[in-house]
Amino acid sequence: MEKERNTPPNLFLKFFRWYCNPRLQDYIEGDLLEVYERRVNASGKRMADFRFILDVLLLCRPGIIKSENKSQPFYNSGMFKNNFKIAIRNLWKNKSSTVINVFGLTTGITSCLLIALFIGNEASFDQFQPRKEHIARVVMEYGFEGSTDKVSGTFTSTKVAPALSRTFPEVIKGVRMTDASMIVELNHEPITESKFLFADSSFFDVFYYDMVEGNAATALDGFDKVVLTESMAKKYFPQGDAVGKELLIGENKDPYEVTGVIRDYPVASQIQFDFIASFCSLRVNQEESWFEANYTTYLLLTGVDAFASLKAKLDPFMENEMKGTGASIRFSLEPFKDVHLYSPHSDLVPNTSIRYLYILGGIALLIIVIVCFTYINLSTAKSIERAREVGIRKVSGAMRGQLFWQFIGESLVLCTLSVLVSFVLASALLPAFSLLIDKNLQLSSLLTPSFILGVVAVTLLVSLIAGGYPALVLSNLQPARVLKGVFKNTQSAKVLQQSLTVFQFAITVFLIIATVVIQSQLHFIQNRKLGYDRDHIISMRVGGDAKYDVITTIKNELKTNTHIVDVTRCANSPVNISSGYSMRLPSMQGNEMISTNANPADEDYVSTTGLELVAGTNFSQNHISINESKEWDYKEFQFILNETAVKRLGFQSNEEAIGQAMELNRPGKIVGVMKDFNFQSLRNNIEPLVLFTATWGSRVLIKIKGDDMEGTLSFIEGKWKQLLPNRPFEYSFLDQEYERMYKTEQQLGQVMNLFAGIAIVLAGLGLFGLSSYMIQQRVKEISIRKVLGASLWSLLNLLSGNFVRLVLLSIVLAIVPAYLLMKQWLDGFVYRINLDAWIFIAAGLFTLVIAVITIGIHGMRAAVNNPVTGLRSE
Amino acid sequence: MKNFQLGEFEEIVLLTVGILNKEAYSVGIKDEIESRLSRTVSMGALHTALLRLEDKGYLKSYSGESTEDRAGRPRRYFEITALGKKAMLYAKETREQLWKAIPKMVLNSKIVGSWAVASRQ
Repeated sequence: MEKERNTPPNLFLKFFRWYCNPRLQDYIEGDLLEVYERRVNASGKRMADFRFILDVLLLCRPGIIKSENKSQPFYNSGMFKNNFKIAIRNLWKNKSSTVINVFGLTTGITSCLLIALFIGNEASFDQFQPRKEHIARVVMEYGFEGSTDKVSGTFTSTKVAPALSRTFPEVIKGVRMTDASMIVELNHEPITESKFLFADSSFFDVFYYDMVEGNAATALDGFDKVVLTESMAKKYFPQGDAVGKELLIGENKDPYEVTGVIRDYPVASQIQFDFIASFCSLRVNQEESWFEANYTTYLLLTGVDAFASLKAKLDPFMENEMKGTGASIRFSLEPFKDVHLYSPHSDLVPNTSIRYLYILGGIALLIIVIVCFTYINLSTAKSIERAREVGIRKVSGAMRGQLFWQFIGESLVLCTLSVLVSFVLASALLPAFSLLIDKNLQLSSLLTPSFILGVVAVTLLVSLIAGGYPALVLSNLQPARVLKGVFKNTQSAKVLQQSLTVFQFAITVFLIIATVVIQSQLHFIQNRKLGYDRDHIISMRVGGDAKYDVITTIKNELKTNTHIVDVTRCANSPVNISSGYSMRLPSMQGNEMISTNANPADEDYVSTTGLELVAGTNFSQNHISINESKEWDYKEFQFILNETAVKRLGFQSNEEAIGQAMELNRPGKIVGVMKDFNFQSLRNNIEPLVLFTATWGSRVLIKIKGDDMEGTLSFIEGKWKQLLPNRPFEYSFLDQEYERMYKTEQQLGQVMNLFAGIAIVLAGLGLFGLSSYMIQQRVKEISIRKVLGASLWSLLNLLSGNFVRLVLLSIVLAIVPAYLLMKQWLDGFVYRINLDAWIFIAAGLFTLVIAVITIGIHGMRAAVNNPVTGLRSE
Repeated sequence: MKNFQLGEFEEIVLLTVGILNKEAYSVGIKDEIESRLSRTVSMGALHTALLRLEDKGYLKSYSGESTEDRAGRPRRYFEITALGKKAMLYAKETREQLWKAIPKMVLNSKIVGSWAVASRQ
């Protein structure tokens, strides 16, 4: 008869089994059950249960609870040491694949480090401002009745900040600011300081800066006050004690009192300045108009929710304000902390589009993927060599988990090695990379704890991903089969190797296509006939208030030199004219206006910049000098329109416009029509443009022959010092200005060149290693084929055919995403190249050639080898 | 001379293992101590003591037969090692030396005193 067993409380039995050291578990459990049985018989089940629970709880003590060490005795330091040694020996033994892997990993990780630094730098923009969540930047959008054109930007009038902070309780403070290039006198020499800011006294209430000397609350109160950064204070007052001293600023040497010195702030800031002067020093109207929008406005709001509530109130408020003016203005708010990455409007500092960061991050990821795949491919290919070792280890009692971790450990050793080298490499390359992307990256940010933590995490991740599959395959081998010597690469490993190779090459082809497209678009931009001449033109600033007769004298003096072709005074060079004006014909109704770009220019503008007149005549010098002597209210302008403006005004032909009256600031007459040319970035369409005969242009353009550059420049400098002694002699060339306009694209192009190059090399390396192992395995087969009379060609064909098929497949796979993405990028340009088939064919062919050469090197060696050497050893 | 570490409870366990001679396994030891010294012994305390003694090399253990009242779990028998015997002897000798060092008077008065209390009742 089966005796009915009493069972102790199951929960506590389980608990006991969970904590108990497995070595003791059986014995103690036996004891527990024996005693329990006895107690049930002696004093009943309930009492026995209670005592059992008590026993279990009392057993829960250090000697009996299992410890990591005792339960897994194989993981001792000796084994680790041994594994480490084996890993090092293996790396040493397979030098070629180690070099390929270390080189690949180092290059990949270095690229990623640099990219991560760049992204980190961009993401850190403005983060040092404690009130960043509550600050808004005001964006203005305006248009005129009867026209659907809207223009928007960060320009606002002086009225915005005071009016909004008065009207809406959500606004605590408003700051108006504008940046300028100011002339500052240092040791009696005028110096142009380009980072000069004018801002309201509320500036230090909204933004935080560490004031070393002076009082932040009052520093910008009153006329002609200026605050310096610490480095500027050192420059201008090397003996110290800047506060209370005077700086002579501007062409008229106005004395400004230094009221404070702030500590140099982080570079990653959207507000950049060396000097900050009180806003009222500008002596502009305080709040007369919503127009004359030349200033940037920031608002300090009561909280994050204020963005939404203020937005809802702003539109009705402005509609009411603009009633009956014939124009409409709307304001929107941008969160301060999102400006640098998300705003389309750059202000003091060029923004970085988040898209650009995504592209770079994507490239970094692709490179790491390529590197990982190379590692996986090489180590699975090598697994045949390691198979015997694995077999022996297993026979000697190694468990699967141990082997798995051993191989992961090997990849960790390799990764750590590469990361260390990468750190050194990255810090060495950082200055060059900073130059390439034109950012001020700091080496110190490479060593912040969070960055290092990130790198450690990535290292672990990469070694897990790269080492994971080979480790799984190797630890899974059956010792009996392996040691019998019939082991070959498994089918699944082959499929994996092939798909990884395809993927790797698809990435490479993709990057090549992207690079080619970006480069051709850049080439297209740089060599496009824009409708004006930008070679050998020097641009110099004279200031808008320079007297007409002074400039006329300079022009005449300069023209006496035979190396100088022409000189003109204007506001903007044809490279970039974007200034908001409005024009109207007298025949138009009511307040109707058409927004246009306009450029004050003189009679030499057309000839200096090589513009083409298609109808009418140029400005006359006579008219300009007569006009100059008149009061503003009696002035009349002459206009030269571009073809787009003629069409926009509704004239049937260019000739019809000539002689017609028009209004732009002042009434005047259309005298000429010029051919359309790209006076803005090629991203934009050609807009209406008007040249008019105002004499407040702040620039002089000098067209020179370019044969005696040095002589000409020193001649200009001589005249300059003589006639404009208060102006520093500083010049730039128009073609440089033009290049600067496409800086983002050029940077993207260069960065793409670099990383696509790296990707190609890495993918090539991977293929190199893989094909070498593949061919090594087939040495015997090749030798036999040769003995039987196979030709060199047929052998090469046999060896590389498979790889070529893989590369072809990857080309096909890469083309579609590359086409779509590059089309999207090109769509950002109005003037752009076509995505021709040749780009894809060229990229494909290039990749194919690289692949064939890589495989060919090994194939050739195997095929020309003496078959005896391959067959002899047995 | 080598210092033998032996706690009070450990010494009792060691002695009991000696008493049981070849029949010493955990529950047996527990019963023996409980009956001889009329004190309860918790399973936890006993097992830790046994483990510690084994670690010190005073005891060695081997797996015994599995019995039905233990639901098939084997017993684990303990045996005193040579080192264990030395440790026991050492403990005994040191105690005796200490005993001898105590002046007679102290012991006598105490025993007499307690006996006197007992006899008065």
